[in-house]
Amino acid sequence: MNIQFKKGVLEICVLAVLAQKDCYGYELVNEISKRIDISEGTIYPLLRRLKDEGYVTTYLQESGEGPPRKYYRLTDSGRKEEHELKDEWMRFASAVNALLVGKKDAAE
Amino acid sequence: MLQNEQEYIRILTDRLKGTLPAEDLEDLLSDYREHFRIGKTEGRSEEELFSSLGSPDEVAKEIKATHLVKKAEHTCSCKNIFHAIMATLGLGLFNLVFVLVPFIILVVLLMAVFLVGVAFTIFGPVAFVYAILQILGFPSFSIWLYPAAGIFFSIGMTAVGLLLIIGDFYLARFFYLMGIRYLKWNIHIITGTVGAA
Repeated sequence: MNIQFKKGVLEICVLAVLAQKDCYGYELVNEISKRIDISEGTIYPLLRRLKDEGYVTTYLQESGEGPPRKYYRLTDSGRKEEHELKDEWMRFASAVNALLVGKKDAAE
Repeated sequence: MLQNEQEYIRILTDRLKGTLPAEDLEDLLSDYREHFRIGKTEGRSEEELFSSLGSPDEVAKEIKATHLVKKAEHTCSCKNIFHAIMATLGLGLFNLVFVLVPFIILVVLLMAVFLVGVAFTIFGPVAFVYAILQILGFPSFSIWLYPAAGIFFSIGMTAVGLLLIIGDFYLARFFYLMGIRYLKWNIHIITGTVGAA
């Protein structure tokens, strides 16, 4: 997929995954990278930024194997942001889809 | 070059040491160590994990730019905004045009307004004294056609000059705050995809 398309959407993806469940970093990275081809390393700086902005918090939780893992959880304002971004994205995507389909029709 | 956990951590540490506070750096490194640790328990090799993480240099650049912009926002100073802009420039060729050019234009504009203000402020009293001397009939060469009007005009000039200087400071502060917002937005748009396959 075109690199341009992925710009900016990573944040919505991270918020959307966290809206479904709390995740540890590796898990979150996997959820996203199995669908979108990204440099996985860039998710961690993004998570730090989201934490700075108060959209997520972190907590440590024991795991079956090895040391405790750092989990990320959406805050209330993070949940609100997720709703807003998702709405915005849905409207944008359906507008673009409509245009693309319209264009195709005209070409035929 | 080796592509293992140690190398990844080494590059991040090397690029961020001195910029990021020690505890923030340690926190960041622990995220990547955890990533490698869990990845390995799932049977992936360090090389594999390294290559899906992508370039540690790009990660370091983004972290650096974000941190320096935050610092410039927190403490307003020429030095801080300069560092923030330089770090943001490092994020891509694109920014040479979209950060450096507007920055230079703004600095030149603010400097020009400041210099005009200073010139007016200084010229005012000089013209004022000259107008008085002219009224008293000292100088043989007159710059004022109507010296009495010149007195008022020169006072007005100084007032305008001072207003320009004061206004310039407010303008500079306004552009500083706008600049921070722009840099934040810029980092947000530019990164997240760096080096994406």
